[in-house]
Amino acid sequence: MNWRNETVFVTGATGFIGGRVCERMIQAGVKVRALVHGMHRAARIARLPVELCPGDLLERESLREALGGAKVVIHCGVGPASSIVRGTENMLAVAQAGGVKRFIHVSTAAIYGITPPLGSESEEAPLRRTGDAYCDNKAAAEKVVLNYGKRGLPVVILRPSIVWGPYSAWSTRLMDDLRDGRVAFIEGGRGACNTTYVDNLIDAMILGLGNDRALNQAFFITDGERVSWGDFIRAHIALMEPRPEVGEISRAEIAASRGKSSGLLLGSMKAAARVARSKEFRHMLMQIPLTEAAMKKAWNWVSALPPEKRERLRARFGVRRAAAKPANARFIPDAVTEATQSTTVFFSIEKARKVLGYEPRVRFSEGMKLVEQWLRYAAYL
Amino acid sequence: MTEPIRLAILGCGAITRSEHIPAVSAHPGVQLVALVDTDLPRANALIRNRGLKCRAVADYREVLGQVDAVINALPNHLHVSSNMDCLRAGRHVLCEKPLAITAAEARSCTEFAEEQKLVLAVGMNHRFSASHPLLKLIIEEGLLGSIQNYDFQYGGAFDWRSASGFYFDRAKAGGGALLDFGVHMLDSVIDWFGPVSAFDYQDDDWGSGIEANAFLDVKHAGRFGEIPGHLQISRTFGLKNRLLVRGSAASAEITVSNPEVAVIHRAIGGAPVSQTLQLEKFSGGSSYWRQLDNFVQSIANHGKLEVDGWQAVRVLELVESCYAHKRRIAEPWAEIGAGSETSSGTGRSETRT
Repeated sequence: MNWRNETVFVTGATGFIGGRVCERMIQAGVKVRALVHGMHRAARIARLPVELCPGDLLERESLREALGGAKVVIHCGVGPASSIVRGTENMLAVAQAGGVKRFIHVSTAAIYGITPPLGSESEEAPLRRTGDAYCDNKAAAEKVVLNYGKRGLPVVILRPSIVWGPYSAWSTRLMDDLRDGRVAFIEGGRGACNTTYVDNLIDAMILGLGNDRALNQAFFITDGERVSWGDFIRAHIALMEPRPEVGEISRAEIAASRGKSSGLLLGSMKAAARVARSKEFRHMLMQIPLTEAAMKKAWNWVSALPPEKRERLRARFGVRRAAAKPANARFIPDAVTEATQSTTVFFSIEKARKVLGYEPRVRFSEGMKLVEQWLRYAAYL
Repeated sequence: MTEPIRLAILGCGAITRSEHIPAVSAHPGVQLVALVDTDLPRANALIRNRGLKCRAVADYREVLGQVDAVINALPNHLHVSSNMDCLRAGRHVLCEKPLAITAAEARSCTEFAEEQKLVLAVGMNHRFSASHPLLKLIIEEGLLGSIQNYDFQYGGAFDWRSASGFYFDRAKAGGGALLDFGVHMLDSVIDWFGPVSAFDYQDDDWGSGIEANAFLDVKHAGRFGEIPGHLQISRTFGLKNRLLVRGSAASAEITVSNPEVAVIHRAIGGAPVSQTLQLEKFSGGSSYWRQLDNFVQSIANHGKLEVDGWQAVRVLELVESCYAHKRRIAEPWAEIGAGSETSSGTGRSETRT
């Protein structure tokens, strides 16, 4: 199949990865249909000559209409964690019925957990329940994708890790946090960051579109460099003037301080309350009063989002991760941040190299230069 | 007291809900007769939810016989035809910005309203924030010395819940960030600094005609001499959201978040100081209420119409010129994708056509 002659259908198109996918497809001269759930979020892709197709991953009929005659699907869409599987299954079913010739499923290395354990370096590592709704549902979604693959839908699964680049909250939120003194080097910042520059990921998608050997397989995709969280944070500090001072903290110290305050729970419940009170959420639920049920729903909704979305929500609703930091007080990272930055696992991209022909094109240092240019453009610097 | 002006609101989308209905409800000089929306249940729900005493109709032509004036809050591409229908029926019109998608249409609408001696007001609500006339006084009274330049930024993640979603359809919206929010900024700076004599425009449109970011450098040739200005608009990220006017003696700043005051920055004995100025006598209510009030007073011949069609025409002419002479904003981080198929290392070349 020559995918360049096909229309590409992109889900999650209003998000950070999907938005860049749309741009890359337009640059490749390909026709794009973009699934848009919230039209108000479409400003970035509305400037591209793409077809904005209203629809919802949870409404199969809307997907049929949105897909149109597209024969290639790049599925970046997620939605709430509790419906990741259903949304993915809907998309798969509609794709199969529509005679789609290639389905790229954007999974995540987080199927091994927010803190992937040693032994999860290669794709063959067995999956276990992690207890995190996002991670476990993304893992379950992969299984559904593979089942459709067995039934003849040509699927390729990519498992990126920390997808970063222009527009990514990993950078924008970090800049905000650095400014507000809400960053610490956990265990000296030695945790594995597994950066995946967004264009490297899209290179892998493009390879997946044209490579039949990749069918029905899953691939870790990262920048292939041993970038630590300390490296990632320091690279952002280096952009700032004046440079913020960031202290170190051990996990033992975090645990000790968490005994004193409710840390993440407090911050997140506050977030849930604000979300529940927000227009956006009320609109979503089509209900007005702030009831306990609404709170619970909001909480489920928040806790089920991928980490990056959670970050964005926190930023949006102005929730501090821990109680407001008094002057000179030591910053204590929340549990999600701690977990995210505590893995020692660097995912191997050997399989992607061998089977997909993937080679990360954007090195970390180069990616950082592009991010810096974008941060300046977007008034973060 | 004279009879209240009987009014219909055309379009029950976001701006009607959030601004026009509260303004109309709070104004003693108007009586809301009808809400018009092709989505009749939407209009009915709004009447119910807000406890309004008016009718819901699907077609504005049904109510033109029962009203004196309309507020036109339909999607952009419907402004001209509906304005003309209302004017032909002898009704005064307060039309949301932009008055039309093209300057030519705005002009014909304006000319027709003049011939018919009807009020055609344009919804430039920023003019009705206290900071607008305040800054005008500050400039005119020479508080800043001679004006040197200005910087005007407005940006934020786009979050306008348009009921119809017309914003991202070029045929219906007529443009992107510049036409949508930029018209407010351009209308204001032209009112303060005079007509634009030269410009340099860039945006980030990749071919849809719906730019998310726009940079505009202008020169005004007004009674204060030549004043250069820089305007920036974004629908994708936050900016400073303020206007800073630099003068030889002081600078003045007005912000989007507090449009009722102006802050003067200057130096006393080398020490930088700031001073917040506020108009003491300024009628209350939202800028939309004041805009409505100005419309009502103009209809009754009690006051000068603040923003007429001709002012909208000059702004739309500038917007059109910008679009006609636009350059693309450099996005070096995006260039990596251009030609990626050839440079993606071991990418399979047989997929190339």
